[in-house]
Amino acid sequence: MGINKREEGKKVNSNINVTPMVDVMLVLLIIFMVITPMLNNKVNVELPVAQAATIQEDANKEDSVQVAVTRDGKTYLGSDQVNVDDLGAKVAQKLEGKPEGQKQVYMRADVRSNYGKVMDAVDQIRAAGVSQLVLLTEKKEE
Amino acid sequence: MGMGGGGGTDKAVSDINVTPLIDVLLVLLIIFMVIVPLVPKGLNTLIPQPPKDKSAPPADTTIVVSITSNKGGLPGYKINEDDFAKSALEPKLAEIFSTRQGADKTMFVKGDADLDYRSVAEVIDMGHQADVDNIGLITPRVAAGQ
Repeated sequence: MGINKREEGKKVNSNINVTPMVDVMLVLLIIFMVITPMLNNKVNVELPVAQAATIQEDANKEDSVQVAVTRDGKTYLGSDQVNVDDLGAKVAQKLEGKPEGQKQVYMRADVRSNYGKVMDAVDQIRAAGVSQLVLLTEKKEE
Repeated sequence: MGMGGGGGTDKAVSDINVTPLIDVLLVLLIIFMVIVPLVPKGLNTLIPQPPKDKSAPPADTTIVVSITSNKGGLPGYKINEDDFAKSALEPKLAEIFSTRQGADKTMFVKGDADLDYRSVAEVIDMGHQADVDNIGLITPRVAAGQ
């Protein structure tokens, strides 16, 4: 009593303590379970880089309308591929009921996509009565 | 010596073991460091709607930046009718718009259909850097006045 026993004679415990590793792995698993659906609802495009880009708080909101044009000229509304000719009607349907000043569409076009295809999509968006278009870009770090 | 010896008389360790907590928090920190740059950023542009009064003539002060594709070569740039090199474009725009106010800070961007989107996005970026408030995109249907 009172004096600590010496430990020299005890057998060394040679098992690796895996509890912290399991903790970390479980957290990673949960994080990726949460993130994966968020990544999947976006069309994979390489955005252009701009210095003057401003932060678009609303672009990731549930009700934002995103149009994507990929390198091979396909047009997507949200994550669904649509025919360019139907884009206008579908965008108008999505924006139905919004006040005139808040009709905004986000454009995610690939840097190497053909501008003619982008213009076709813009024409359709314009036909839906939208006048504010935001071209999503990456921000160039100074 | 021997096995444990019952252990009842050993002092209990009353400190909380914080190591797993720190592990988990560090991983969370790293994850959020990776996620933060994904905040969306973009360039605001406008698409002109068809004018209600079709007879109204366009104003003389309108600035239109045209980008021509040169059939697969390097793109050419024009402000209204004058040719400019790409490097001279942004200073020229800044000069033009430095004296303008309010609704006059408007320019239009017009690009050939066989261009890459990159060239057009660069010009829109230059416009924003030159402090132009309203940048309009001219598409085939806008040009046709429909």
